[in-house]
Amino acid sequence: MNKFKDHESWEIIHIPDKPPFPPHQQPTVKVYAAVIDPKHANTLVRKLNHILPLENLRHVKRVRKQQLDGGSTHLSVILCLAGEDDSQLDVVPKEVVELIDSYQLETFITKVCRYAPLSKEEWVEQCKIWPTSFHPPTYNINGITGFSEEESHSVCTFMKLALDLAKSERQMVNAAVIVDPSTNEVIARACDQVYSCSSPINHEVTKNHDNMLLNSSATEEPNLLYDGVSCLYPWGWSNQKSCDSWHPLWHAAIVAIEDSAARDRNLFPGSRHDLAEIDHVQPALTYPSPKKQKTKSTDVNAYEELGSHTNGCPPESSRPYLCTGYDIYLIWEPCAMCAMALVHQRIKRIFYAFPNPNAGALGSVHRLQGEKSLNHHYAVFNVLLPQESLNRGGVTEKPSNVAHGVSL
Amino acid sequence: MASCGGGENPDIVAFMKLALEQAKIAFDSLEVPVGCVIVMDGKVISRGRNRTNETRNATRHAEMEAIDVLLDQWKEKKLSKAEVSKMFSKCYLYVTCEPCIMCAGALSFLGIKEVYYGCANDKFGGCGSILSLHTTSCEEVGGKSYKCTGGIMAEEAVSLFRNFYELGNPNAPKPHRQLVQQP
Ligand SMILES: [Zn+2]
Ligand SMILES: [Zn+2]
Repeated sequence: MNKFKDHESWEIIHIPDKPPFPPHQQPTVKVYAAVIDPKHANTLVRKLNHILPLENLRHVKRVRKQQLDGGSTHLSVILCLAGEDDSQLDVVPKEVVELIDSYQLETFITKVCRYAPLSKEEWVEQCKIWPTSFHPPTYNINGITGFSEEESHSVCTFMKLALDLAKSERQMVNAAVIVDPSTNEVIARACDQVYSCSSPINHEVTKNHDNMLLNSSATEEPNLLYDGVSCLYPWGWSNQKSCDSWHPLWHAAIVAIEDSAARDRNLFPGSRHDLAEIDHVQPALTYPSPKKQKTKSTDVNAYEELGSHTNGCPPESSRPYLCTGYDIYLIWEPCAMCAMALVHQRIKRIFYAFPNPNAGALGSVHRLQGEKSLNHHYAVFNVLLPQESLNRGGVTEKPSNVAHGVSL
Repeated sequence: MASCGGGENPDIVAFMKLALEQAKIAFDSLEVPVGCVIVMDGKVISRGRNRTNETRNATRHAEMEAIDVLLDQWKEKKLSKAEVSKMFSKCYLYVTCEPCIMCAGALSFLGIKEVYYGCANDKFGGCGSILSLHTTSCEEVGGKSYKCTGGIMAEEAVSLFRNFYELGNPNAPKPHRQLVQQP
């Protein structure tokens, strides 16, 4: 996890492919170690690294330096892995036993962290056990290693836009905003239309109306406040009263994807990509054109090579391939249907504000970004909103526990 | 309903043949060849085929198309949400390829009764291959499961895929391409 603190309380957290362990509960392995005389340190470490390099523990430092109360320095060195059963002294290799004997080392068993730290927080906790080294990950997706001032500003702006959309409906709903980050152009915006009684085209934000509604509903049961959020309660659509325009599967992300596809059809009417490799089964069998080869690749920055948009008369070269290179902003972590739809449509990055403990597919219940078999992978970020942007809508606390009906 | 319950029932094969017909229509439209039918009370009430290319919307899978046909019908009849939900709970889906994670989730949300599919979907399958969305559900928020049976006429489904990807490959023999360009 990589955190970036924006001006005050905005925070953008990368949600990694594998489940993070709580920083203070990381898995450890047992090792044999020994206190050594500092004047033998260089020789011993050189010999040990030669005899028994710690191949699977490259992040672990071989030597630990401790300052004792009296001001003297205490050096310990890792000799080798210990069995998980404490009595197995026989696992120590012969060469190491010879070193122990010739330097008259007194061995002890200690723990080191099994995996390299993913964040500074994890690293700090690891070093309390035994020092490790921390190398921030170097992916080719912007943001994983931190956001520039300018980019984090854009992230905040688009998340605010999504939040305004979510609050604009009669009840709290999920909202989606698809953005081309190379131009900061909004490609599509949508709310849940699972229960919607309003026209699907009308996305006008009418704040007075909404604040009134939200202020009145904020005093009611929280599950009444949030049961309109489709990705949170995807099975609940049939309990709602009927109206003219509704669809049980029109979650915000699904509607936004259709809007972006409609935009593509409108802006580039005649032409069509031969999307032979569109997801279904075994798409990796063939790459019929160079353009498709590019977008097929795992390089999520491929879109940038396609050039930027110009309004009015977009050149064919700017034709998007699905949502390649685009970001999506969602208020709630998407369900499995929406998260997979965003894989199919080749979204580059997903930003969401609140986790979805009921059905979230980006870390809460499932973790699609870590499913290696999928042919496309997006980067996922949780944007922690400052208190004030929630207060503005009449919601008085972050609804992180809404699914379990915790009072607001 | 009873007509689709048994594993040995020849109706299952008959319905899968209709789903394969839809997949062939997709193939002829230069779409990834997946097709499906939805059956209620022993009758086909909806058909769908993959239309991702035509719509430029990679989520327009056969299942989604067939579901939307039903919703349009039922909304036209002014059915309430509760009534629509009850209708889905009597529906059987026959699809030539295991539903992907997106479609498998959607089918659970709708509360479909049962799914029969042809070949497995090793990359995106949501009914056992990658995730098991037909069984894993959160009851406390109304999660629904459905029975899912694979391997119905799987070879036919796979051979359609194989022909399709050979077609897309520039190195594939010419006759395949000409075959498809004919209406
Ligand atoms: Zn959803
Ligand atoms: Zn699907």
